[in-house]
Amino acid sequence: MIDLIPEGKSIGWMQAPAQWIFTHTVRFVGVVRIVIQDGEGFILIRRGTPLFYYFKHGRIELHGRAALDYFNSHPVVEFNMCKYTPEEFAEALRICNVEGESSPLPAESDAPAPGLPPAPRATVPVPEPVQEPIPEPVGESVPEPVSEPVQEQLLEPEEPESLWEPEAVPPPVRGSQKRTWNIFPQTAAPKTPASGVPAPVISPEVILDETDIKIIGQIKKLNGVVAISVFNNENNILLMGNVEIEPLLNIARSMLVTTNKIAPNVDWGSFVHMTLQVPEGNVIIAPYRQYHLCLLTTRTINIGHIRRILRDLQQTGEQS
Amino acid sequence: MLKEILNKFLVLQGVQAAVVIEENGEMIESIKSGITIDKNLADVISTVLLDSRATAHLFGNASLSMVFIEYTDNFLIIGPLAEEFYLAIIAKNSVNIGQITYEMKKNQDAIVSYL
Repeated sequence: MIDLIPEGKSIGWMQAPAQWIFTHTVRFVGVVRIVIQDGEGFILIRRGTPLFYYFKHGRIELHGRAALDYFNSHPVVEFNMCKYTPEEFAEALRICNVEGESSPLPAESDAPAPGLPPAPRATVPVPEPVQEPIPEPVGESVPEPVSEPVQEQLLEPEEPESLWEPEAVPPPVRGSQKRTWNIFPQTAAPKTPASGVPAPVISPEVILDETDIKIIGQIKKLNGVVAISVFNNENNILLMGNVEIEPLLNIARSMLVTTNKIAPNVDWGSFVHMTLQVPEGNVIIAPYRQYHLCLLTTRTINIGHIRRILRDLQQTGEQS
Repeated sequence: MLKEILNKFLVLQGVQAAVVIEENGEMIESIKSGITIDKNLADVISTVLLDSRATAHLFGNASLSMVFIEYTDNFLIIGPLAEEFYLAIIAKNSVNIGQITYEMKKNQDAIVSYL
């Protein structure tokens, strides 16, 4: 079935709890392709309303509630949001045999599907979309989560400044070649959810629309950008990139504390960004709407290009 | 003599201050143009240096290679000179940052020789 539905236009790969998808797709029409270990599935979504759930692992197929429960049983899932045209969406509905919008959850057995990889937890999302290392897929039915590259650049690249000149950086690794960046000390491993802790509800105020996700996805695609996060004081809201999010956010929040400390003593206009460079790479924080962006980059990043993007983002934000 | 070297930064259009600071945040020498390095500004430089060094340690005890804070009008760059000393540059946003970092690197040994 996965192969039959239209491919759509990829907005980008990201990782978050499955529930995040529903609260952040109010303007999205398309398919969210989900990869869990060596299985693959999808959710058809029309403006925040899930119309069809599907997951396949080997010969095992889950539909409806069973598939949703399986998605929810993972703290974080990796997914690719693919936008549909009305024609593509109609075609997908036809293939999935969804009539109208009346049956978003076809009744299915709640019994756990035998043979599926065990989920790390029983139910629902974790407090934060903590990056979970993706196990190396095994077996012959490994799907290659290939995201369609977004061709248009966020901004036209300008003359690079020579602060940190860009070098040829290999394209982001995908699918089975993915790796987690371990640039942080082992003692700063990401938090694992404590079992039995009530699952927090993702704040309904935390809304990133399709445009936000596209912009962030485009920044992530820039050479040298290892990971990008949208965060606030409490949570990581969105993460793109294979990196341990908690140590990264510790650094980002520490930088934010510094900017807050000096704010009363500087009269230099609005804060644009702070970049901390260490031999291992750069961490950049910048305001983004009511949140903050955090970028982890290699030393080879074209910082001039990033600066312009961040400045333009803020100008756009101030105008809107 | 140190001021003479620091003056090489001030000739770059838009650069407003070049400050040599110790790792504890204390100012060693400075040269400025068009701004006053008062206690507030000294505190800013000191805070950014001390905090950034501490934050860099979260990267597995990494050393600070550079910290760069940009606002819509001005920015501040701090980079290491020698083990205990750092150079801070305050400039208007119109300045070519690449040129500043190039000058920082180029004049590093000369500055260190006077410390």
